[in-house]
Amino acid sequence: MSAATPKITTAVKAASRGSLRPIRRAPEMRKLLKRDERGLPIPHIKHLVLRDTHHSRLQDFYYNTLQDDLMYMTYVHESSPRPPPRATRLAYDPEDPYTKNRHNPPVGGSQIGKKLPPPSTAHNVVQLERIQIHTMVKEAINSKSNLLGAIAAFRAISGENHQAGGVHTSEGVQIVRAVKTVGGWSRAGGPLGVKVDLKGPKMYDFLTTLVEFVLPRLREFNGVQLPGSSSNMQTPAGVSGVVSFGLPPEAMGLFPQIEVNLDSYPKSYGMHVHLITNAEGQGAQNRARALLSGFGVPFLRK
Amino acid sequence: MLPRRPALQAVRSLATEVGAANNTLHAPTPPLSTTKSAVTRSKPLLEAAVIVNRSPTITRSPSRFEKTFFQYQSRIARALHNPFPYEFYFKQGSPLEAQFNIEERSRERQAFGRLTRTMWDTTEANLEAAKLAKEEVGKRATRFTEADKRKDLRSLDRRGERNLYLVTKSEDSSWSFPRAAIRKGEFLHQTAERALYPHCGVNVDTWLVGRKPIGLYKPAEPTEGHERLVFFYKMHILAGQVEPNGSSAVDFAWLTKEEIKGYVEREYWRGVKDMLSDS
Repeated sequence: MSAATPKITTAVKAASRGSLRPIRRAPEMRKLLKRDERGLPIPHIKHLVLRDTHHSRLQDFYYNTLQDDLMYMTYVHESSPRPPPRATRLAYDPEDPYTKNRHNPPVGGSQIGKKLPPPSTAHNVVQLERIQIHTMVKEAINSKSNLLGAIAAFRAISGENHQAGGVHTSEGVQIVRAVKTVGGWSRAGGPLGVKVDLKGPKMYDFLTTLVEFVLPRLREFNGVQLPGSSSNMQTPAGVSGVVSFGLPPEAMGLFPQIEVNLDSYPKSYGMHVHLITNAEGQGAQNRARALLSGFGVPFLRK
Repeated sequence: MLPRRPALQAVRSLATEVGAANNTLHAPTPPLSTTKSAVTRSKPLLEAAVIVNRSPTITRSPSRFEKTFFQYQSRIARALHNPFPYEFYFKQGSPLEAQFNIEERSRERQAFGRLTRTMWDTTEANLEAAKLAKEEVGKRATRFTEADKRKDLRSLDRRGERNLYLVTKSEDSSWSFPRAAIRKGEFLHQTAERALYPHCGVNVDTWLVGRKPIGLYKPAEPTEGHERLVFFYKMHILAGQVEPNGSSAVDFAWLTKEEIKGYVEREYWRGVKDMLSDS
């Protein structure tokens, strides 16, 4: 280009120059760590927490591109401050000794589906908070050892482990127990299935795998089914920013972590996937779908 | 017994307000315009400009601090991880296992300078098979592309880590984002879409982000006695390349935020800089 040449500001160059210390070869280990009775290394310090070891590609994509776009797309202009919320009176007089400690629902019906979204700002742009996957294993009713296959598969898919890396909030693969007894189907407290909560980089890794390896290769899957356009969105599900869908047992074999040795697992397990976002209030479901659509999750109108 | 409903009064007053508002409809409305010239003088000229963005195509390189931090964390992870179940994932003596072994040894040496634990051994035959398997994978693409080497400002392959924005050069050799004046009966977002195609060709596949403008620029000096308002829209380029028509757009460039500063006028830069992403 013969026209003006670009002038790159010195600020960018300066930022890359300064550093804390030069990167050199990692020091050699003089003494190996002691091992416990199971052969696992024992660290020198007690409370060691493992942090990120690399940038997460999808997370970078969210902060570089998606967040700005979603802010522009979901912005709702409000010219004046909102009126104070409507005062909902109680059904009974709280001072009356007869009704004092009774359940006292506010008059005016349920307000769940009518909750307004928070005012649009740059700080509450819709964002993925966590992903939960879970499965029910019917055979576990007879023998809980049937859960082992599902536990192994979920550990491979999620990469999560109980308090892995010293993160005490990481719960790993959890066993789901029945809440109540249903004749011939479940027994209260009996193990029924497994679930995993994913957060942070591992969550984005899972979503990448799902969107790039699993869903495109899944037969007869054109996208997550959307309800009809005239369906009521003022429901608890409509005002919560959670998008849920199910995957058939065939999908398990398409995860690369499982694909390499699918034969090692006793059977394939289907799973429910809940993609939980921070969207709330009216239209939350739509905002959550816009976010996931940006991540590449396909949606399909009936 | 029941507490009096305080909200009732408010509802009534609201209803009466609405009623009052309806009543005003029947009142004689003031004439829309007294004289034509008075209206045109106060009417601003509306324009829509479009910020066409090529989003980053590769992850950004970690800074020196990040690199050191990631290295340190990787060493901790490597030192403390649970033993890898080779026999669960690989058939014994398979090329895949040999390849994994070789990679694992080099990673171990890179992290600690030597092997810190007994690792599986590989036979000569396996090594050969692993080499073949590695050749099949192919070479990695570079982060510094051909366009970066040539310093080709028109290429979409340049500066993969950064957001690039399209700026065009008009006949009077001033650089700006493509823009168009609004036509009668046209929506602002339609003007924004129109701003690109007549000047920059149709061989470009784009997507307009929403139907709301992302920013407003008001030039200080009025044009021909009219105030000028330029509404900016964000657009993503998905495929294709810009072809300037030679008359209204003479040249174009794909620039990062700080490069744009050197191209446009200072006042224009002050108006648009906050609409561009820093990354």
